[in-house]
Amino acid sequence: MISLTIVLTISGVVLLIAGLFWFMPELTRRDLYFAVTVPSEFRDNHAAKAILQRYRSELLLLSVVALTAFVAGVFLLGVRVVPAGVPLELAASFIAFYRARRRVLPHAVEPTTIREADLHSRDRLIPGDWVAASGPFILLAACAIYLWFQWGDIPLRFVVHWDAFGHPNRWAARSFASVFLPLLGTAGILAALTLILYGGAYWVRPIHAVGSEGASELKFRRAVLAVVLAAEYLIALQSSWLVVVLRAHDWGTPGRIIVLFPLILVLVLVTVFVFARFGQGGSRMSAANQSASSVPVGDRTQDSYWKLGIFYFNREDPAAVIEKRFGIGYTFNLARPITWLIAFLLLMGAVLPVLVGRLHR
Amino acid sequence: MYAVDVQTNHEVVGNVLRIDLASSVPVYEQIANGLRAELVAGEFGPGTKLPTVRTLAIDLGVHHNTVAEAYRQLANEGWLELKRHHGAIVRERPRPQAGPDAVERFARPLRELIAKGLADGLSRSALVREMTVMVQKLEGGAI
Repeated sequence: MISLTIVLTISGVVLLIAGLFWFMPELTRRDLYFAVTVPSEFRDNHAAKAILQRYRSELLLLSVVALTAFVAGVFLLGVRVVPAGVPLELAASFIAFYRARRRVLPHAVEPTTIREADLHSRDRLIPGDWVAASGPFILLAACAIYLWFQWGDIPLRFVVHWDAFGHPNRWAARSFASVFLPLLGTAGILAALTLILYGGAYWVRPIHAVGSEGASELKFRRAVLAVVLAAEYLIALQSSWLVVVLRAHDWGTPGRIIVLFPLILVLVLVTVFVFARFGQGGSRMSAANQSASSVPVGDRTQDSYWKLGIFYFNREDPAAVIEKRFGIGYTFNLARPITWLIAFLLLMGAVLPVLVGRLHR
Repeated sequence: MYAVDVQTNHEVVGNVLRIDLASSVPVYEQIANGLRAELVAGEFGPGTKLPTVRTLAIDLGVHHNTVAEAYRQLANEGWLELKRHHGAIVRERPRPQAGPDAVERFARPLRELIAKGLADGLSRSALVREMTVMVQKLEGGAI
């Protein structure tokens, strides 16, 4: 029964990913088709429509294969296959995207060489500014102080990991490292997200500096930053909840760990809805964006800097944060060192709690 | 004293600086020309802070040194004061005394520009009107 619940949950996530990939070509900028710069009227012609149709057929077929492989894997090999569900679907969707991109490449054109910058002083883009951004760290610090003063109440052995059914399956002995390293890991993740927040506010090159396109782009950036900030609060809340409630007192109840799941689900659904409404970079909000231009603006970057259509690597570009070409939101310029610092912090945040579980078993 | 270049390739619309990376005019010069036009028109009063070198470089997708060079050029002309960690601040700038060769330096590119306009089919009256509007617009600012 529980396996069926897990299979259905992961299948739901898989379908959501497939759905996002299905609609993604309609959410991107008009002059970027499958991450290739094209004239803005290209997507209305027969060749583009045929590419889209074939992409969706392949996406459907590959997603069915991925889902079937996942479900069969769970029933044949057990729940240890569960983590493979989402990566399988991502791989299937990427193959469909990559094949469509190759079909678009012969139609590629050079983007405009015009660049623009707003000379006005910038509005603050982060909702609530740094007061709001420091909230998650304050929450974590309060949690650490609480644990410090409640040290005697922490059980000598406590749970640090749960299986797919929500049952504890890994314990750690009480020590300074086992209690505080997971918090440090969360702090690492929050630091990475704060850098992303800062990057979204200050390291993004606007594609349109003025007009309705520029205004929509700014609204879109604010929405993205609000989502990142909300995610930071959820992560801090979840970490504090787990550490304080489960570790210090009632650590054995599996139901307690899923108490924040509805909040996470709400954040995901609101994010999907808002971004679908905005379109990439606010492109669906701006009527001006629909107008055809003789030279495509695209994202004002050359196609050659986009590896596989999703990884941006350009040493000449001082911008560390760039709008995604196929997707909603932003990605990093892999040629900038700050990108690797953020990746390291995220990795540290993911690895530290696992290390604690293994070292203090 | 301002250089007027027929190959300027910069454009400023409502405090937005546009440059063309494919232009034969060096990017730092396009940036300096664009900012100078804004300063001449009085769009930025004394004490106004311009975007930092880093911000402008990110927005335009050019190297920091390119923007820094444009700022240095404007600072040398007396338009900007460059302060470490504080960016570029617009200075009060008295109208300079035009040198003996100033008219000649102005007339040469202007002649080429007018010739290009006529070659493109613009009428004499259209050219005069455009120049009059431009001069009136720029003279409104603090020189």
